[in-house]
Formats: sequence, structure tokens, C-alpha cells
Amino acid sequence: MGVNWAQVLFNSAVTGSLYLIGAVGLTLSYGLSGFPNFAYAEFMTLGAYMGYFVVRQLGFDIYFAFIAAFLACGILGALAYRGVFRFLANRGANKIHLMIGSIALGFIIRHIIGDIWGWPPTTFGIIWPGFDIGPLRVTDLWLALIFTALFLAVIMHLLLTRTTTGKAIRGISSNPELALASGINIERVTLLTWAGGAALAGVAGLFWGAIASISPLLGWAMILPVFAVTILGGIGSFYGVLAAAFIIGLAENIGVVALTQLGLSTEYRMAIAFIILIVTLILRPQGLAKAFRRT
Amino acid sequence: MGLLVYSLDIVVFIGIFAIVALSLNLEYGFTGLGNFGKVAFFLAGAYTYAIVMERTGIPFYLALIIAMLVSAGIGFLVSLPALRLREDYLAIVTLAIGEVLRLVVKTEDSLAHGVWGINVPPAIHWSGMSVLEMRMVNIGLVYFCLILCFILVQLMTRSPYGRVLRAIREDEVAAEALGKNRVKYKAQIFMLGSALAGLGGGLYAQYMQYINPYMFMPMVTFTVWIMVIVGGPANNRGVLIGAVLVTLFERGARIIKDYLLLPIDPINLQYILFGVLVIFLLAYRPQGLLKERQLETKAIEGVQQWKNRSSE
Amino acid sequence: MEESLLRVKEVGKHFGGLWAVNRASLDVARGSITALVGPNGSGKTTLFNVVFGLHKPDEGCVYFNGERIDHLAPHQVYAKGMVHAFQIPRLFYRLTVLDNMLLAARGHKGDGLLNSVVFRQGWQAQERELADKALELLNLLELDHLTLSPAGELSGGQRKLLEIGRALMADPLLLLLDEPAAGVNPLLGRKIFERIELFRQRGLSFFIIEHRLEILFDFADWVYVMDKGKIAIEGKPEKVAKDSTFYKVYLGD
Repeated sequence: MGVNWAQVLFNSAVTGSLYLIGAVGLTLSYGLSGFPNFAYAEFMTLGAYMGYFVVRQLGFDIYFAFIAAFLACGILGALAYRGVFRFLANRGANKIHLMIGSIALGFIIRHIIGDIWGWPPTTFGIIWPGFDIGPLRVTDLWLALIFTALFLAVIMHLLLTRTTTGKAIRGISSNPELALASGINIERVTLLTWAGGAALAGVAGLFWGAIASISPLLGWAMILPVFAVTILGGIGSFYGVLAAAFIIGLAENIGVVALTQLGLSTEYRMAIAFIILIVTLILRPQGLAKAFRRT
Repeated sequence: MGLLVYSLDIVVFIGIFAIVALSLNLEYGFTGLGNFGKVAFFLAGAYTYAIVMERTGIPFYLALIIAMLVSAGIGFLVSLPALRLREDYLAIVTLAIGEVLRLVVKTEDSLAHGVWGINVPPAIHWSGMSVLEMRMVNIGLVYFCLILCFILVQLMTRSPYGRVLRAIREDEVAAEALGKNRVKYKAQIFMLGSALAGLGGGLYAQYMQYINPYMFMPMVTFTVWIMVIVGGPANNRGVLIGAVLVTLFERGARIIKDYLLLPIDPINLQYILFGVLVIFLLAYRPQGLLKERQLETKAIEGVQQWKNRSSE
Repeated sequence: MEESLLRVKEVGKHFGGLWAVNRASLDVARGSITALVGPNGSGKTTLFNVVFGLHKPDEGCVYFNGERIDHLAPHQVYAKGMVHAFQIPRLFYRLTVLDNMLLAARGHKGDGLLNSVVFRQGWQAQERELADKALELLNLLELDHLTLSPAGELSGGQRKLLEIGRALMADPLLLLLDEPAAGVNPLLGRKIFERIELFRQRGLSFFIIEHRLEILFDFADWVYVMDKGKIAIEGKPEKVAKDSTFYKVYLGD
């Protein structure tokens, strides 16, 4: 039976787009603050539930859901940074303490969400019908996802190269002492990065909730592939994440083809990202980023 | 009577998780290894025990030993590439390995029936056994194992070997320069820690009498971490207390639910408070309830004598 | 002529295109106090790091006591009898001064897993002996009143002394000391070197990086001057001090 490679490519773009939107926030905050924030999973979960709130409970259009997710999660990110991580860091917390703190924060957010909206999985109740463009089967949702990712990529590139904040982010990641000496307001940049990153996480969560289903554990279903993209791309590097997201998206979708040919379960699709993560950490923990001259 | 039986259940849980917490204390508290994939070895022990008991007729203690060996084996394989990684990378890698393992048992139905789970015969069992008797027997079995584990980790850590572990935790390059083969020590500890977690897993499987992949989510790892942080890293007694407190906290809500009417589901409230508590602990008392104690060996006697001699 | 204890032969080490050590060769004679001096950035510490096994050399080899050791890890080099003391003390700060000393001891039976758990009598007795030895050394370094204090509570000068004391505890054939008197007052610095001389008389050999040239020239048998990764001059201290190249190296040409 022939494989529709065009479809595989398209699906890879969809997966890659989702991972790109999801990983930008993680890689930048990880790079800036020096530790992996496991509560990032809950930033994504909240995004999905903001969507649910707007669409199912308020009855508005899905487009408003994006704004709600972006804003709510952005605020959450800022609060998390100020109220938890900066607080702990000032009290002398080391990397492992910060990681455990992020897990604890995750518990808090997840159970607040679970209490408000319940634990059983749910959906937006919207169907995105599929239609054909040539050999491809697409849906509005997927196209919107790809478009959002492209839009994000352009915005991020402009941000990182044209604005002072963006250049500051790159500066702080590559040389913190120099950045401090050159008068960049590290505190403001960090806060913006955490807020913006969380906001993007929310949008990614929203998409994931639309594609799959919504549950308080949504973030944890997505977090490991997002980590895989972050690590493969090189912590702190947007361009790394850009490449890694689509590499992993491609790997997953080609992998699904391979799995079916080999007669293995497609459940192992998730394992592809995990294995890339493990192998990258073992062989080349700094990821692809060194290959790029820019951050 | 119901309350007694329910309390005994909590006691068994405390015992099982105390074993796993002691294993993490050995890895993190004494040696500084941030193992965020503890549940993987817990799972390995539980599933090995379950599979062995389902397919063979060997006595339960042999099955437990096999469970420990399999977990130790996986621990060894993981330690080869992972232990030289920086702490955050080690955390992520161990977390990922845990998830891969869980995915495998979830997907490969031929192993242990995948998502449908697998039934596990209890270790010690006779016909006509009541629930009360079952719990008491398990308390006996679990606490017997826990006491052995406790003695083992105490002996290990209150010795020159324990001193080397602490040195590796403090500064592994300096330890290496003083002749300590850090790769060997870290691998030994990781394997032992994995074996103990596997023991806990096996005991858990036979107590629950049924296991499925959803019982081994990363949350289990985090619960054990909180036991270690609350109780006191590098203090074994502290970690036991941590296991007690955390389990009571976890189970407490279910009892309160029957007696208090709250606008918020007590189970959710409990986890929220939990999270807040852990953050405050990390901020104000990261050493935990019981702080790490200085190593005391015959060397201290020598110091005392010296002091006496010099004051003459 | 007796073979030298440590022989460094045409060793090179680079980091990302920059050669920190560039074809350096030297010998440390048995029972000597040999000095390695040079301006900042000349590659002295890197050379030390290659010798005791922290880095593998990109070129050349290192021989110790007749054996080739450049491929060995630091703990293996230690086993051969070479111990290194860091420039900025890498003590175990949360452990006691005593623990720091005991950790340096060679061949402690209690270091093995099985021994520590099962054969407890064996190492308990050894702990007593080692504690006595440690206390003698600490007394010599005037640190014995702090034996049970956490190493983190020591002052800067005391930390340097403990770093050296720990290395001495290891009963080495050769001690690599990276700036043992750096950051301490001149009087204490002199005292440190007097102790070093004492141990040299007991049979230990020393290879020392030091900036304080006045102290060094009173104690060193042989001096190597390093510049930009190479050995520029070598010889007895008086001769080197009179060599014009010596001043060029330090003032830059």
C-alpha cells in the first residue's frame, strides 16, 4: 500500500507547528533562569481550559478563546516567576529546589483547574470538518495551527533581531555578566520572557485541547515532547527550537508510518520524542544551538 | 472497625513508600543524584513481580528478589550514560525514561495486559482471610522489609563509604582528585536505589493485588521527592517521618470529606495546600524536619582523646 | 642519573583553537621542590590539570615513576601516588575538617560498599589510626582546634592550609600544589613553605605553582618559567632570577 508522503509532510508541519508554539516559552525561560520549569505543563493546561471557558461556558467564538488563553496564561507566568521562582531563588534555592518548587506549583495549578472544571476529560464541542486540497486531507484547525506558528516565527525573529528586549534576551542568554554590565534591565526582560512564554504555552495548550481532548492532565501529555524540542534545539535558542520542532514533527510522523509497516502499535509515537530527548541528552546535551550563530 | 481497617491501609502505604523514599534519600540526600524517574524502578519492580507471579509458581520472596534484580539491572543501564549529566539534565532524562517504561507496559499487551492491568496474587494468603487479617499480614511483611532496608542504609551511610558519598555530593571533582572513583560509587548507589525501589514496587503490587500503567504516573516520583524534602535529605529517620506525614496528608482528605462540608473538594484542596507547603518548606527549611547529622565513627573518639591530652 | 619522578614530554592542550599548553616539557626530580612560575594565563594551571588527569593532553605524554599516566583519570593518578591541591580550595564545605582529612586517606578499608556494611570492625580501628594521623597534621598546620567544625567555617587562609593538609594526608610520592600561599599574609605564606620543606625532608617531592617569587626562591631547587604555554627558561632559582628573559616574560615583550 502506498504511503501518502505529501500527507506525512503536512502532518509533520502540523505537529511541528504545535511543538514550536509550545516550546518557545520553555526554551527562553529555561535559558534565562537556568532551570526547567515543570509547571510549564500547567501553563498549557490552563490555556486549554481558558478556551473551554470562553467557548463552552461563555458561548463566544473560538477566536476569543485565543485572546483569553494568551492573557490568562501570560498573567499566570508572571505570577509564577515573581511569586514562586524569584522568591525561592532569593531565599537561596538551588537548581533542584527550583525544579521541585516548579513541581509543587504544578500541583497547585492542576488541582485548582481540576476543582473548577472537574477531572474527567472534555472537549470544546466544535468539529472541524476535513476537506481535501489536492492529495492532502486538511482541517481548518490544522491550517490555523500552521499559520499561527509561521506568524509566531516571524514575530519572534523580528523581536529577537530588531527590538531592544529581544536583543537583551539573546545577550543575557549568551553572556549574563556582560549583559548586566551593559545596563540591560535583566529583571524586566526576565519577567517579560516568563509572561510571554507562558502566554504562548497557553495558546499551544489551546490547540492541543482542540486537537485531542481537554483534561487537567493535558499539560503532562504534552510536556515531554516539548522538552524534547527544547533540548534538541538547545536550551535558550529560539532558532534551535524552530528547527527542532519540525525535525521532531517529521520524525514522529515518519515514525508512525514506520511503526505501522513494522506492525508495532502507533502508541509508540510518543516514544519517538522521548527517545530523541534521551539520546540528545546523552550524546549532545547542548543541542543544535551551537550550529547557529545567533541565539 | 472500618476506621481501624482504613488506618491499617494507611500504615501499609507508609511502609511501602518509606522504602522508596529511603532509596531516593540514598541517591539524592547522600550522593546528590537528582533522580526524577523513581517511579520507573517502582514500576519495574511491580510489573516484574506481577509477571513472574502470573507465569510461574515460585514463592513470593523469590519473585521479590527477581523484581529487585530487574530494577537494579535497569538502574545500571540507565546509570551508564545518565550519571555524568548535569543535575537538570539528569532530572529530565530520568523523567523521560520513566515515561518510556510506562508507555511500553501500557502498549505491549503481551507483557502484562496493557491498559487492562494485571492481577497480582498476594504474597501471604490463606483461605477465609478477612480484610483485617490481610492488612495485618502485609504490615508484617512490609515492615520487615522496611526494617531491613533501614538498617542497610543506616550502615551504609554511617561509614567511610557514606563519607565518600557525601564528598561526591559536595564536590565530585575534588573527590575524584582524592582517589574516589566517582563513576563506580554513583553507579553502585543508583543500582542499589533502584533495587530498593523495585522492592517497594513488588510489595505494592502484591498488596494492591492489581496494577495497571495509570498507577505509575510521574506524580508518584514527586510524592516520594516531597517525602525526602519534608523529612530531611540525608537523614534517614527524617525521611521515615516524611513518609508518614506525606501519606497522612494525602489520605487525610478522604476522611475529612465525610466530616466537613467545604465549597472545594477536599482532595483538590489537600494537593493545593501540599504544593503551597512544599514551596514554603523549600524557602524556609530546605534541610527538612530533621537536619543532616555529622558522621560519627571511632575517629571522633580519637579527637576526644587528643583534646584531653592537649589540655593536660 | 636517576630517572625523574615526573616527566612531562612535549605536552599540548588546546581549548577551541587556543593552545593553553604548547609543547611543554619538564622534569621533576625525586625529593625536590620544583617550581613552575609565569604570568597569568601562561598555562600553568592547565598543565597541572593535564598532569593529574583532569584533562587529556592533545599532544605529548606524561610519565610518573616510570609509568605513562596521561590517559588515566584523576582517581587513578592518585592511586599511583600523585596528589593535587587546587588553587581555590575545593574542600567539602559541609563536612567537618576531620572528614575532609579522612577522605584523603589512602587505602581506607571502609571505602568499599561490602566492607562498610559487613566488616565494620576492620575499618573502625582504621578510623582511629587515621584520625590520629590527621590530628598530627592538623596540629602542624595549627588547625587542630577546628577539627570538628564544618570546613565552611574556616577563614580563607585556614582553607588553604586544609587543602594542603588534605593532600599531605594522602601519603603521596609527589604533591602538586597550585599556589599554596596565594591570598594569605606573607608570614603565613612563609610558614606554609617551611612545612613543605619539612615534608620534603621526610621524602616527599613537590611540584609547586607559585606567584610569590621571593618565597619560592628560598625554597625551590629548580624553577621552570612558563610563557604562553611554553617553557621559556629553566634552572636553579638564582640563575633564573638573573636571566633577562625572565623579566621579559613577566613584563611582556
